[in-house]
Amino acid sequence: MRNLLNFLAKYNNLIIFLILEGISFYLLTMGNTYHNTQIVKGVRSFTNRIDEKISNARSYFQLRDINQALAYENATLKNNINLLKNKDDLLFFSVSDTNYRQQYQFTSAAVIDNSVTRQKNFFTLNKGSRQGIAVDMAVTSGDGVAGVIVGCSRNYSIAMSLLNLDFKLSARLKSNGYFGSLGWDGNQYNYAILSEIPQHVTFGIGDTVETTGYSAVFPEGIMIGTVSGFEKSGGDFYKIRVLLKTDFKKLHFVTTIGNLRKTEELELEKLFQ
Amino acid sequence: MINRISRFSLIFVLLILLQVLVFNNIRFSGYINPYVYVMFILLLPVEIPSWLLLLISFGTGAVMDIFCGSPGMHTSATVLAGFVRPFALRVISPRDGYEPGADPSMFIYGLRWFLIYTSLIIFIHHTTLFYLEVFRFADFFRTLLRVFMSSLFSITFIILLEYIRKGK
Repeated sequence: MRNLLNFLAKYNNLIIFLILEGISFYLLTMGNTYHNTQIVKGVRSFTNRIDEKISNARSYFQLRDINQALAYENATLKNNINLLKNKDDLLFFSVSDTNYRQQYQFTSAAVIDNSVTRQKNFFTLNKGSRQGIAVDMAVTSGDGVAGVIVGCSRNYSIAMSLLNLDFKLSARLKSNGYFGSLGWDGNQYNYAILSEIPQHVTFGIGDTVETTGYSAVFPEGIMIGTVSGFEKSGGDFYKIRVLLKTDFKKLHFVTTIGNLRKTEELELEKLFQ
Repeated sequence: MINRISRFSLIFVLLILLQVLVFNNIRFSGYINPYVYVMFILLLPVEIPSWLLLLISFGTGAVMDIFCGSPGMHTSATVLAGFVRPFALRVISPRDGYEPGADPSMFIYGLRWFLIYTSLIIFIHHTTLFYLEVFRFADFFRTLLRVFMSSLFSITFIILLEYIRKGK
């Protein structure tokens, strides 16, 4: 106690000085907004730095937990993907254009029944009129022609495959624009015949064959296949063997294409026939 | 004693009025803000007890802050000046010590002594004050220039006032 008193007596000036300076600093920081914010800023930048260090260290120690959580999330997502795949569901997408009226509507569907071995092949899709499928819609697989819808129930639809003797399609050579009629000859599942190409036309093996858009079923420019060989048929025309782009034995996911302006076009054409 | 108190009270009032009415209105390029009220701390008797000196400094600074609207700024600077004053007096004490009961006056100890004494205290006071006012170390040298310029003018004015005081 006595030591304490001695200490106080010895340093009384310093103590009074510190007290008074403390009071004035308190006034300085409390009374002036500017000084107050400066102090708060300084203190905060200091504590922020420490906080950052702490949180860095902590996140390092939490890596195991984070890993586990991520692995769990991964597994859940994979399950979801699988689930969606098994449902063959339901990617409805439309290629809509904000500037122009949408002409084609695209709907994805899955092939649930298919054949390539008969002369008149059909395949079945898992979507029908309820999902917006209608008769005479085009069916493509990837970016190759697959067939055309010929019948719809509420939830299923039947499409005539390109591998059908009744299937006729207007097609052209991409390189020069000459068009002819494409159909299947009933032999091999991966070749079709393009006929009615005049003999003065020059083209090569490997040239692309695509749709013309004249039929109001298929949009213009969808690829059908490539030229793999040709022979003269009759006096004036070539008979071209086309290697089909679509592999009908692996047909699974297809896209149906509905032409929203088809009725308009057909009505107009009917007026002049 | 009573005489002395009333004399210092008068000096105090006059210096505060001079500072508030005249020197606070000097706006010369923002670099020159003389603060002559510190002269009151300089003029207090040599033998004044340190605690009383500190309290008087605190009061002086507080009054200045009230007039300047800057709570705490003048107070901390002036308290520091009051705290440093005894050390300054000890460092520059004349060869035969201070006369008992004497004021630290220019006419007792000479111009050179008074100049050193004033410069020390004023410089410490102004450094504290200006850096507290800016309250950051950006523009460090700009603030330092302000400190030097203002100190120069404060010291000049204080010496002039000392002449006037004696001339009366």
